[in-house]
Amino acid sequence: MLGMLPPSAGKNEEAFFQKPVGTGPFRFASWTHGDQIAMTANPTYWKPGIPKVEKVTFRFIPELSTRTAALRSGELQVIDRVTPDLVETLKGTRGVKVLDVPAIEAQRWIFQLGKEPVKDQRLRQAISLAIDRGVIIKELLKGYGRPVDSPVPPGLIGHMSLPPKVYDPEKARQILKQAGYSNVSVDIVLMKDFYPKQLEITQAVAAMLGDVGIKLNIKNLEIASAREQRTAGTYDLFFSGWAHMPHDPDWYFGQWFTKAGSEKLTRYSNPKVEQLITEGRVPDAKVRQAKYEELERIVWDEDAEIWLYYTVAIYGVSDRLRNFEARRDYYVLLSDVSIA
Amino acid sequence: MKTYILRRVAQSALTLLGVSVLVFVILRVLPGDPARMLLPDGAPESAVIELNRQLGLREPLFVQYGLFLRSVAHGDFGQSFQYRAPALRVVLERLPATIQLTVAAMLVTIAAGVTLGIGTAVRRGTRYDLAGTILAVLGQSLPNFWLGIMLILLFGVALRWLPTSGFAGWTSLVLPAITLAAFPTALVARLTRSSMLEILNRDYIRTGRAKGLAERSVVLRHALRNAAIPVLTVIGLQIGALLGGAVITESVFAWPGMGKLIVDAIFFRDFPVVQTVLILSATVFVGINLLVDLLYTIIDPRIRYS
Repeated sequence: MLGMLPPSAGKNEEAFFQKPVGTGPFRFASWTHGDQIAMTANPTYWKPGIPKVEKVTFRFIPELSTRTAALRSGELQVIDRVTPDLVETLKGTRGVKVLDVPAIEAQRWIFQLGKEPVKDQRLRQAISLAIDRGVIIKELLKGYGRPVDSPVPPGLIGHMSLPPKVYDPEKARQILKQAGYSNVSVDIVLMKDFYPKQLEITQAVAAMLGDVGIKLNIKNLEIASAREQRTAGTYDLFFSGWAHMPHDPDWYFGQWFTKAGSEKLTRYSNPKVEQLITEGRVPDAKVRQAKYEELERIVWDEDAEIWLYYTVAIYGVSDRLRNFEARRDYYVLLSDVSIA
Repeated sequence: MKTYILRRVAQSALTLLGVSVLVFVILRVLPGDPARMLLPDGAPESAVIELNRQLGLREPLFVQYGLFLRSVAHGDFGQSFQYRAPALRVVLERLPATIQLTVAAMLVTIAAGVTLGIGTAVRRGTRYDLAGTILAVLGQSLPNFWLGIMLILLFGVALRWLPTSGFAGWTSLVLPAITLAAFPTALVARLTRSSMLEILNRDYIRTGRAKGLAERSVVLRHALRNAAIPVLTVIGLQIGALLGGAVITESVFAWPGMGKLIVDAIFFRDFPVVQTVLILSATVFVGINLLVDLLYTIIDPRIRYS
């Protein structure tokens, strides 16, 4: 993204970014590090009547229950990244409503494809078949998740409808038996507390895999240690969300499905896929769609990753707020918003 | 006395040097690579090596430590990896919030803890004593985050008397200060009680009462002053502990103090910031301990250091 900057900004970058100047509907007012950023309406904004509020404050509240409480007490008008288990509490509060929208975000697990045993496609397929994604969405996410039908979530170029990843433990057992796996053990690494509900989901999947005879060892590690393991490749599975930013699948494919991009990540390597990614780097949307569909079919059939579900973005909003748009990309745009 | 203070200051310097070595070494033997935490996912190895070289992390450990000591002696704690600003400035920015919270929590602790302790001691065995003891046990056993969230729900959401979180004026200080004070208050209350009970049985207290002193004067002037030494020690230690950052309370109340800063810094392997916070709080800790030892001589003139 490119913004318009005053000529002096480049000479003193650090100071500029402490007190930025732009051309938007709001002006930077103050920043209390670790607490809040305050902005005031820009009276000389080019579009008349915009923005509709005089002041906007962005507060940083790391603790989810506190964030929820601040909305319920009327201190805040909007909170984002609400977790499904807090939805009922919010819905039961007078003056607060819950908005949700399918997010451009897929939760997925990556494999360490350079290493036994998961470099074997049959094992990966068995793992995928043994996971009941419906239960995860219904029970753990209380319905706030959607089944995957493509590595790229709907709303982005390249999304398509592929055969669903079904739950078939019987077939999983068969594949394992045919491939000669018994008592196979797989390690999954989690970045501690990074994604909401990640540990519960992983524990549920561990039980599902246990059912077909795969032992899943959960390693819930502090972020830096987890990433160190990922770099070193000492994992089989890694819990890795993907917010699809910037909003173009080229970044996702380039990162995880090219030899250079995945060198310290998944160790994925497939010349055909690499070629399709390169061929997708053209302006023509039709060509890109076709190339992406072709390559998605390949990685989907390879079970190159475990795609678990698409996230649903949940917002808690004061019902005095007008024109607030719950966006699927988590952007908070407030130029049209007003308070009744 | 002067030699005593000088000797203690010298000892403190040695302690701090020890702290700095420990912090320095522990951070660097932990798994996790600062450059990898700063660079985006999947950055090439060459970029990781280059950034680590720029951060000065490819030198041998003792060279790194030597350079670090030299710049600390000049008041330079290095550049924060995460914020690209002097680590000392990043830390000092968060210091006022931490000091406010610590001072407020300590005032609550001293006022409530000592009062509760004296009250339960002089009314020993009554219902008041029992209630005080229960309160003290609760204060020490309730988890901080739970108490904090309950206070938020009661005073912030249900009654709407106080803000739920943030750092804006004294009203937002009330709930975090109470949450943070719960544990030390209970500790001080119990300690004051037992210490007072011991003193109240002494002969000189009986003498005081026998010569017709008002009960108030017996308790506050004669008993409390003698019971104060262990209480003072504990309060001193608690101040040190709180200044190091009340991590949980700060994150429950979104309080922008050093606790949150150091947790993030450890996550991101921001060595200079972690070092600065730890050395700074160790300095304060050592300083307060020295101060407490000196206060003993004022409270109890029989104590002399030579």
